[in-house]
Amino acid sequence: MTSQANPRLMLAILAAVFAFLYVPISVLVALSFNEGGLPTAWTGFSVKWYGALFANSDIMSAALNTLIVALASTLLATLFGTLLAIGVEIRRRKGRFLETIIFAPMIIPDIVLAIALLSFFSLLNVTMGLHTIILSHVVFNLAFVCSVVRARLKTFDWSIVEASADLGGTTVTTLIRIVIPVLLPAIVAGALLAFTLSVDEFIIAFFTAGAGRAAITLPMQIFAMIRFGVTPEINALATLIMAVSVVALSLSQRLNRGGLPGQ
Amino acid sequence: MTLLSIRNLRKYYGKARAVERLDLDIAENEFFALLGASGSGKTTVLRMLAGFETPTDGQILLNGEDIAPLPPNRRPVNLMFQSYALFPHMTVAQNLAYGLEMERLPRREIAARVDEMLGIIQLSHLARRKPDQLSGGQRQRVALGRALVKRPKLLLLDEPLGALDKKLRGEMQMELKRIQAEFGITFIVVTHDQEEALVMADRIAILKDGALLQCGTPHEIYEHPSSRYAADFIGEMNFLSGTATADGLQASSGQRIVAEVPDGVDPGDEVAIAIRPERMKIGGSGLENSVTGTVVATAYLGLDLQLHLQTDLAPDPLLVRLTAEDVDTHSLTEGETLTIGWAAKDTRVFKA
Repeated sequence: MTSQANPRLMLAILAAVFAFLYVPISVLVALSFNEGGLPTAWTGFSVKWYGALFANSDIMSAALNTLIVALASTLLATLFGTLLAIGVEIRRRKGRFLETIIFAPMIIPDIVLAIALLSFFSLLNVTMGLHTIILSHVVFNLAFVCSVVRARLKTFDWSIVEASADLGGTTVTTLIRIVIPVLLPAIVAGALLAFTLSVDEFIIAFFTAGAGRAAITLPMQIFAMIRFGVTPEINALATLIMAVSVVALSLSQRLNRGGLPGQ
Repeated sequence: MTLLSIRNLRKYYGKARAVERLDLDIAENEFFALLGASGSGKTTVLRMLAGFETPTDGQILLNGEDIAPLPPNRRPVNLMFQSYALFPHMTVAQNLAYGLEMERLPRREIAARVDEMLGIIQLSHLARRKPDQLSGGQRQRVALGRALVKRPKLLLLDEPLGALDKKLRGEMQMELKRIQAEFGITFIVVTHDQEEALVMADRIAILKDGALLQCGTPHEIYEHPSSRYAADFIGEMNFLSGTATADGLQASSGQRIVAEVPDGVDPGDEVAIAIRPERMKIGGSGLENSVTGTVVATAYLGLDLQLHLQTDLAPDPLLVRLTAEDVDTHSLTEGETLTIGWAAKDTRVFKA
């Protein structure tokens, strides 16, 4: 029975699954180019909503905030995540416990992490703003970067580290000239993944942004706007964010042929 | 001139013994082989010399100076790794230059020495290739060149030919000897391949369970093994079990065997009697020992012939190696009866 599975039926199921996944997104993209701006009727192709988007200063300042948060948290998470991955791999013989602790922020629900960070910052009396969002994003991005780099380290030939020492290289020289260049594809892949995650992260940013509009990021701005209905501007904005994410993610996958965590 | 003196070197992992009280002196310009089965501690010794393992106890004196406390990057010693450990993101030329850059030599000198080394390892035309674009033999030469270009006093080679196919291995054995003589650098090779050690080394140390069993020239080790283990490990050997008597030896079949009985073997002691297959000759006239048996198998090896002769001396057939001349003048087909003999001086006796 299974060996005689109907190929047409299989194709139909596949098509249905992809339709379920991608029709809503396609509708969103299409509507962002809808001249009339109403989701009920197509009145012609236009990019005017993109124009409106760039003219909206609230959105633009939120976009700038998001960019700052994403770049800063990616940079920090990549630096420390890579060093962490290397350190953990070297100490691997000490047991698996360490790994579980490191990867916990990937698994803990965002809302739990968000509440925890909010309580933590309040407890320390930290004034919240972009810097607290950045730190919070580093918390989970660190785990993602670390896990991508760790995946590459599984096939890393440690004898080249010994060879470098044997040829006169110090620990720091070996790290800079041998270990990091060999791991670079995985490091860049981890960074792109971190950037993507940071750009569209809402819950944690929402909890750790503090009061006022100063530290509003794009997802927060969108959330504020759709309380008054989905405007065509939001469609255009969502389309742009998606484009950035898709590019970053596909670059990341391409560089990291070892696969994402769990793959 | 002694270059390297290993004194009372010990290495324990917890309570597990890896190397036990090793003493060795290695001369300048010597091609030295550490030979042993896996688990004999030979690689641990090499890694202690390179600085990747810390000795539990003992000294490693290089020109009289104890280098045991120094980290690998501060030892005038280089290691050619078994896996080659080439830097995958660097070209052949960059791999060769790395060690010289670590010495902060002037750029011009680095370029000159890299060029010279590329010529010696015959890879000038592949200088811009990455390691994954090279064959196994080419990678092996890069690994050798990368260690040699530093002009170390002592070059350590961990199973340098292990990954090569048999024909290439033979060529590289000669090549390593030539390079070693040309550079005048002391080589210490770790190998499990006794044939490789015999061909290449000036002297061989046999290690067993972390301890030194015997150290000597290939000739000494082959002809005068100090123990049954060494006799068995190096080359082919026939073993007979027997008993020492007041005036010689008696095989378990009852036959008397003439041999020089070493000191420490007393009448009544159980002994192992060892004879090399190539020391046995057809006929046996003029030789102290002889035995008659049936040919059960022959193997043609080109230059010579290996023959299995079933006798009542031992449960297993004796291994006899005959020359092409013997093959021409005797009928050696299976089932034939054949008498072979060997001299007393070619018979080794070990306490069982």
